[in-house]
Amino acid sequence: MTHEEFLEKFQDVLQTEEPLGMDTVLEDLVEWDSLARMATVAFLDSDFGVGATFEDFVEMRTVADVARKAGVAS
Amino acid sequence: MSKALLNHVRIRGVKTVVPDRFIDIDDEIEYFGHNVRQLERAKKMVGFGRRPVVPEGVTVVDLCERAAADLLGELGTDKGGIDTLILVNQSPDYVFPPSSYLLHDRLGLGEECAVFDVGLGCSGYVYGLWLAHSLIASGASTRVLLLAGDAASTHADPRNRLYYPLFGDAASATLLEHEPGDNPAWFALGARGAGWDRIVAPAGGRRLPIRKDMCDIEVRDAAGNVWHPWDGIIRGMDVFNFTMEVVPKNIRELLLFAGKGMEEIDFFALHQANRQIVEAIAAKTGIPKEKTTWETFSRYGNNSTTSVATVLCDQRDARPVLGRCLLSAFGVGLSWGSAIVGMDGCHNGGIGLYPAPAGLPAREEQVEEWIRYFKGEKG
Repeated sequence: MTHEEFLEKFQDVLQTEEPLGMDTVLEDLVEWDSLARMATVAFLDSDFGVGATFEDFVEMRTVADVARKAGVAS
Repeated sequence: MSKALLNHVRIRGVKTVVPDRFIDIDDEIEYFGHNVRQLERAKKMVGFGRRPVVPEGVTVVDLCERAAADLLGELGTDKGGIDTLILVNQSPDYVFPPSSYLLHDRLGLGEECAVFDVGLGCSGYVYGLWLAHSLIASGASTRVLLLAGDAASTHADPRNRLYYPLFGDAASATLLEHEPGDNPAWFALGARGAGWDRIVAPAGGRRLPIRKDMCDIEVRDAAGNVWHPWDGIIRGMDVFNFTMEVVPKNIRELLLFAGKGMEEIDFFALHQANRQIVEAIAAKTGIPKEKTTWETFSRYGNNSTTSVATVLCDQRDARPVLGRCLLSAFGVGLSWGSAIVGMDGCHNGGIGLYPAPAGLPAREEQVEEWIRYFKGEKG
């Protein structure tokens, strides 16, 4: 999966108004609520087979961090 | 995990009843800061639509009575042959007796009948089916009326947006009978008592009775959700993690135990926690999209104890023949369970509406009546 594909998918998952960039800080998104966190965990799990918990968001701060977790090559 | 193969049981029919009063999420935009975009985002991600809600004075017993009477009428079944009545429920009418006894009375069932409640929430319908199958397969029962219901809207303040908008009120009746021919059903159930406080209504039991000292307590969290000590709490993120950990595994282990592939299951009825959770389970388990649905959540909300039955009944028009179904549910306890059942020939009574009868006794009238009963002024 390319970065562009990842960004497009992740934006659809989060239903954000603004387009995402790899350097977007999750906490800066107005939509970054518990719903978005759950959607992200489910997205990592179902689309990439990567297990994550809410504690992981301490280290996953940006969209690039989520992509790295998903194993999308940088 | 508790696994079982139970044979010689036939599910004769299933029927769901919901109150005829619905709340539509579009009418609750005040809770989304009057922001249409936020409302639409919640609708798309959570699957919010509309949900039936009982008016004051209508309980699970009323809904169950209608569901059972309608089902038995539609099947043309003689209620005399019912030797077991099970009610799965966590919204009882009284502290005791169990609500199943009120239903035994209302339905006019005979005294040659075993009657009891099972106290469970969202996993309840699968546990109830397992129990009914076990009783018939063992020879203890020959005809079981399985009732399941919850009025989850009564467990929360409407201003608690983490809880209230997710749930709809409903009840179902399912009739199961002994079947001389083969009709194997497979079950896999599990429990994690250590998570008992992840979904809990603290006050109102015997550990913490509701007394004057708590009547005025109204707590607000950082987001403004309102909570009373007798309301339910769901630790959403913990429950989400729990669900993703146990449910896909439970479904896969059941398929393995039954020796069935995904392709041998006609329909997957998953507990309608919400759209996001149903889709995440389906994706992780590898359930094809066309073989399951989250849309019942949008039409009826999360029906707690009876949610899986609502899904089945909601399929009446789309899938006239249900075939071999895999049912899976999870929730309060924490508990989970899945079943593979053959539903060929099962009557699907669909989802009926229950209009509240006129002249329901007011709260004050009920209190006065019980005072007279205590004083011996009423027989």
